Amino acid sequence: MADRVPLVRVENAVKYFPAGLGASVKAVDGVSFEIYTGETLGLVGESGCGKSTLGRLITQLHPATSGNIFFEGIDLTKLSGEKLRQHRRQLQMIFQDPYSSLNPRMTVGDIIAEPLENFGMLRGKAKDKRVQELLKVVGLNPYFNNRYPHEFSGGQRQRIGIARALALRPKLIVSQILNLMQDLRNEFNLTYLFVAHDLSVVRHISDRVAVMYLGKIVEIADSVEIYRNPRHPYTKALLSSIPIPDPDIQAQRRVVSLAGEIPSPVNPPSGCRFHTRCPIARAPGICSETEPPLEEKGREHRAACHFSAEVPAAV
Amino acid sequence: MAAPILQVKDLKTQFFTDDGVVKAVNGVSFDLYPGETLGIVGESGCGKSVTALSILRLVQEPGRIVNGQILFKGDDLLELSNEEMRELRGKDIAMIFQDPLSSLNPVLKVGFQVEEAMFAHDRVNKKNALSRAIELLKQVRIPAASSRVKDYPHQFSGGMRQRVMIAMGLANKPSILIADEPTTALDVTVQAQILELLRDLNRDTRTAIIMITHNMGVVAGLCQRVIVMYAGQIVEEGPVHQIFHNPQHPYTWSLLRSIPRLDSDRHDRLLSIEGLPPDLISPPRGCKFNPRCQFRIDRCLREDPPLLDVGPDQRAACWVTMDRALKHKEPAVGG
Repeated sequence: MADRVPLVRVENAVKYFPAGLGASVKAVDGVSFEIYTGETLGLVGESGCGKSTLGRLITQLHPATSGNIFFEGIDLTKLSGEKLRQHRRQLQMIFQDPYSSLNPRMTVGDIIAEPLENFGMLRGKAKDKRVQELLKVVGLNPYFNNRYPHEFSGGQRQRIGIARALALRPKLIVSQILNLMQDLRNEFNLTYLFVAHDLSVVRHISDRVAVMYLGKIVEIADSVEIYRNPRHPYTKALLSSIPIPDPDIQAQRRVVSLAGEIPSPVNPPSGCRFHTRCPIARAPGICSETEPPLEEKGREHRAACHFSAEVPAAV
Repeated sequence: MAAPILQVKDLKTQFFTDDGVVKAVNGVSFDLYPGETLGIVGESGCGKSVTALSILRLVQEPGRIVNGQILFKGDDLLELSNEEMRELRGKDIAMIFQDPLSSLNPVLKVGFQVEEAMFAHDRVNKKNALSRAIELLKQVRIPAASSRVKDYPHQFSGGMRQRVMIAMGLANKPSILIADEPTTALDVTVQAQILELLRDLNRDTRTAIIMITHNMGVVAGLCQRVIVMYAGQIVEEGPVHQIFHNPQHPYTWSLLRSIPRLDSDRHDRLLSIEGLPPDLISPPRGCKFNPRCQFRIDRCLREDPPLLDVGPDQRAACWVTMDRALKHKEPAVGG
């Protein structure tokens, strides 16, 4: 288990995107949590919940609309220019699409060396050697450095993206990729924010899991605990929706069917954002009027629900 | 048991490319019974979608069905004229696809597109078509169906679009619905809703469903019988319970151990199947799975195993089979 030093602390992060006519898409809307040094934190939620935007806020690929993001105690939102750039090398993102994230006109060696050059880290033979080491680390032939991305399969390209992200020996990786990361995080002492929609995959590699819904974190807990004892009805619904590859177990499980669809993040529902679809909501009532805070429901277990005691345990 | 409604016999579909002949489907035979749910599973490129497209004779150039029979209620679909085939598609056998957005016309109202599916087969007059379209949208649980028939596809979410596709598929009360990865592009909670809908429709309308998917969980929850494909061939088939609890082909066995499960111990190592699926232009000699199989014996390198009975209604194409393999060898896990 990770030691309990937060590497990243997110305080009330907000990201709104303008949506015309004065409206805005409230992609991330007041989110606070920590990522501890050495842990893998899984961030899950369905399309449009804001998980990717949150990943981009932490890596400073988007400036936050408001709120603070501390990395090793330094507030990244207060930095700019060269100072921010120097911190950025500690934060790397591995992109999901291995086709659009590699420049087709650069050789693989140049792609992986580019971050080293940007930060003036290594030159000449030392740089070439480093590139070949990185290729080896991700399981590619080190002598493929003169080839171009199109000569590789999708999976191999993903590995090239991983090698590029590791070139600067970052402390934090934000990624949607599972491939290889289980092995690499120990070798490179990584802290890993794993952004994904599949809770069964996330649970498999994460120490803790945070669940997002409509721009908010609704639950965050140890990954075994969140599966055994979800305290938010959305987490429960998400868990019950994931098919288990066993016909006998599937026959016994009851899917918690959610009413309707995800509301628009331009006009999120009042009170608890989940109340319009929640099977246990009191609405009209406290759930449609008061937003539940993300609070302790157990050891290292926080959930944002007025009636978390009523959420049944998982099967 | 009733007579099969569909019999596929020794189907071979090949693609004649500049690089050579791709044997995408290479001697596939199976039966489908009225009202049953049959899953066809396998990784990308195993031939599962081409099998489905072949049934409806929708394989595009340079692909061609070069051998086999597809008997629907006794008639060989491969012998029908194009006109007869067009009459049958959508009426007797309907199909839904992975991406509902590209299957719907963006400039036509959803209601009209559902009606169109009916007009194509002259089942209804114009007056009744609208009310039938609304009824169908209600059947697939689209809220406010009577007003939503006037909306365009872009006004629907991904899950709702897939419901529209299912409604169109059901418009002529087909006896077979082929669903090709219908939930792959959807979020899990929406996927669960669509699977529940398909289950209910199968129960209520007795439409047989062929579910094509790479997701073993989807199969476990929906299908009564399962076909596992690898490199253009069926490697195992049987009742869902047998396939999941007593798989006999090493590929099926490995596939089930390579997926993270919500109910497993978190740090269980997943099995990774070493290597890549074979090149279908020049596949390996013998069993197509042999280069990746940890249980192979010499015979596997020389002779391609036929499907052999390995249990009640269960057949596997393997010279070894898992019962025997596990008796002699501790399997390698992880990697």
